[in-house]
Amino acid sequence: MLLATLATALVLSGPVVATPAKEAPWLPEAAAYRLVLFLGNLAPLPWEDIETAWAEPHRNSEYPVGALAWLDRESDVDTDPLLDATTRQDRQAVFAEATRLIALRIEEELDRAFAADEPATAQRSVRTARELYRAFEDGIAAADPEAALRIGLAWLELNSSTGSAGVLGAGATARDREAMDAARDVISDYLAENYLIDAFSPRRTLNALPETAVLSGRAIDVPPSLPPGSDIFDQDPLPRLVLNFEEQGIDETDLPLVAYGDMLFDSAQIFGGPAQDLGIACSTCHNRSDINQRLFIPGASHQPGAIDVDGAFFNPIFNDRRDDPLDIPSLRGLRFTGPYGRDGRFASLRDFTRNVIVNEFAGDEPTPFMLDALVAYMLEFDFLPNSILTADGRLTEAAPEAAQRGEEIFNRPFAGLGDRSCASCHVPDANFLDRQAHDIGSVAPGYEGARAGALDTPTLLGTAYTAPYFHDGSLPTLASVVDWFDETKSLELTEAERADLTAYLETVGAADDPYEPFDDENTPFRLAFAELTTFASTLDTLLPRRDAEHILLLIDTVAADLAADASTMSNLAARPDVYALAERLAEVGAAVRAEDWEAAEASWDAFKSEADVIEERAF
Amino acid sequence: MAIHLNRRTMLALAGAGAVSLATPLAAQDTALRLAFIPQENPEKLLGDIEAITGWLAEQIGVPVDGFVTVDHAAAVEALRNGDADISFMGALPFVLAEAEIGAVPLLSEVYRGAPSYTGRVFVRRDSGIETLADLRGKDIAFADPISESGYLYPLAEFVEAGLVAGPGDAEAFFGRVFFAGGYQQAMQAMAEGLVDAAGASQYADLLLTPQQQAEVAWIAESEPIPSHVVIARPGLDADLRSQFVNAMMRLNEAGNRDLLRYLYGPDGYVRADPAAYEGVRDMARRYGLLG
Repeated sequence: MLLATLATALVLSGPVVATPAKEAPWLPEAAAYRLVLFLGNLAPLPWEDIETAWAEPHRNSEYPVGALAWLDRESDVDTDPLLDATTRQDRQAVFAEATRLIALRIEEELDRAFAADEPATAQRSVRTARELYRAFEDGIAAADPEAALRIGLAWLELNSSTGSAGVLGAGATARDREAMDAARDVISDYLAENYLIDAFSPRRTLNALPETAVLSGRAIDVPPSLPPGSDIFDQDPLPRLVLNFEEQGIDETDLPLVAYGDMLFDSAQIFGGPAQDLGIACSTCHNRSDINQRLFIPGASHQPGAIDVDGAFFNPIFNDRRDDPLDIPSLRGLRFTGPYGRDGRFASLRDFTRNVIVNEFAGDEPTPFMLDALVAYMLEFDFLPNSILTADGRLTEAAPEAAQRGEEIFNRPFAGLGDRSCASCHVPDANFLDRQAHDIGSVAPGYEGARAGALDTPTLLGTAYTAPYFHDGSLPTLASVVDWFDETKSLELTEAERADLTAYLETVGAADDPYEPFDDENTPFRLAFAELTTFASTLDTLLPRRDAEHILLLIDTVAADLAADASTMSNLAARPDVYALAERLAEVGAAVRAEDWEAAEASWDAFKSEADVIEERAF
Repeated sequence: MAIHLNRRTMLALAGAGAVSLATPLAAQDTALRLAFIPQENPEKLLGDIEAITGWLAEQIGVPVDGFVTVDHAAAVEALRNGDADISFMGALPFVLAEAEIGAVPLLSEVYRGAPSYTGRVFVRRDSGIETLADLRGKDIAFADPISESGYLYPLAEFVEAGLVAGPGDAEAFFGRVFFAGGYQQAMQAMAEGLVDAAGASQYADLLLTPQQQAEVAWIAESEPIPSHVVIARPGLDADLRSQFVNAMMRLNEAGNRDLLRYLYGPDGYVRADPAAYEGVRDMARRYGLLG
């Protein structure tokens, strides 16, 4: 039981960095409320999702029922006003009713705590009320830190004064009614003034700010947060990264431009807006150059592994107001897969990258050095080795017989494909692509007469690990892709032929070693430690150049990540050393900010020798 | 029945009933009844219980029911009444249950290679607090009054250091002493600056966000505390008891380790050594919890 709550107990508020922590579960009504705040800021407003937020458990919820069913069971609070406001699609009314509902629920649980005969029952109601209060907590902390502390203490006081029955009478503590009353007053008075009010001032942005703070007219930034059901963890198992230079035995520390690009690929600092605050980097979606099958953000993802990067959340000015999330594409073999973008809209990887940073994720204009570094790094991404394929893309004799029969079908011209074969576009000796865009009928036209459905031919290499398929991830398996072509292109394949063709795709899309191998010693932290110290090694180049801008970008990324990643260490005893190392790197940054280059170099030298000492224990 | 039935335990019992009905071809009518303490979300625990009791029933050949109690005290009550045969329990409530109702320890949880852990006193690194003595007049949050690592053992460090005369005297040394309701709540209160220190399990800082973890440190560590324990009521049939223990020990096998996540997530189990709890009995006596 010692570690029982470890996986679930984190309460996230405020900015987070690159190591996301799993959130404590939200109570169903608090989860629905937080979803309403998030979805209510999207444009166009996804009303269907708002209804679902109350009717169904959010994605990955630990509660099997949705908020409405939960409230029906647990509460006497009337949900009709909320449902009515939702039916009317009245955003302000939904906000007001949902806010009042949460406040009423807190009051209801507090009433129960005061009425309970058993201390354990009272404690549980206090705990539930406290968990519901969490729905407002980031707003109060942002608007009124003093009130946040006062209320935080009141919860502590309330919990302490509720008393305990002990075990069979041993260790019993009495209820302190007076202290309970005083603590409750602090909480209830604040709710009455800010959340349990008859009319809320109009909200341009939905958030949990207290009404009095909104009325004051002060500009208050509530740190961005993701709603319940979001998942920005790396996928598990983690894809294996294949870097061309590394396979040739070249050390990344000897390639400072590439190493700097590697750092930028992992840096949320190059983005702006909520992405930066939430610790979202290139690698959040493209784990180890590949994909992230679990990534999900409500309102931006229609299914795991997909995201709409030109919606309302990341960069409102770039919002195309089209609900068109894309399945995250793999970046393996990137130097062979241009042009870039699902429809090949960018001939240049550099232009594509700038668009991602500036437009999709609201970052500042990157420097030429940053773009050079990112491109240099990404051009090193190689396909996963697959020993069943020859260099020119033919199956070896080791391939299963079904796949070999499938290879013949793959190369067979079909009338339904205009007398072309699958291989006409997925050219085997050209990495199974043709660098052309074709309209195969997989995109619904945006308007009548639209000719905008042509998408870039994707490679088939590595696809055994990148389900689902098609630009929108609408096909779950390679077999379903075969079925789709068979049906829409009238290929008239027999069942056996479809199975053979599927076997061929699965063989071509396979790899010798698709995932990062981890064990007790070779842990994810060791991998992170090696990466972060490699990133830092670019200081050997940047410090002599007195390149303050790029040094600080590096240090702001790496020092924070190093400290945050220490939380994933299995060698808990070595954690303080890693924190100290992160601080040493931060010292380099402080010295550079103060333009004390001598001190910066001294701290950097100290970092290097300390990192060497820790390296062995960094797991 | 002595368990205070409320909306949620009723539901838990109803759910558990469905589990036992679903257990096929049980060799014996008498079900083995397991009490679980909610450590996190009771709703999730219900699903976990279903998974583990189903497996245990297959292994033992008798139906296995599981239900969630409101707290340790209710689980001990259930053992006393015979409403539960077996319960998952902290070491301190166990020694109290042992003294009162003759509960028997069966299995100890293993974490990071040991069936023991410690309690620590945590502070914010920027607080300037370096020793226990620095906490004179300051506020501290503990987890719960019936918690070994989240109260008794960390507090004992202050007694050892000569700062607190003895149990019941803590208020004289500290500014305020709070019981936050759990490790995580105590640690959050400290990390957020509501209090100056937290007394909690050695692993409790892992309950904070990665950034908060970098901002806290511990300044005192208790002697080893036996880890949480699986206990039985004294009258439980000896055969059934040993079959249960044997089945639980099979959770250590590679093929079954996945199931541990349904049981509070230890690394494994070892057979409990009753002598290992002598320190806890001692501590309970010193704090006036045991006669």
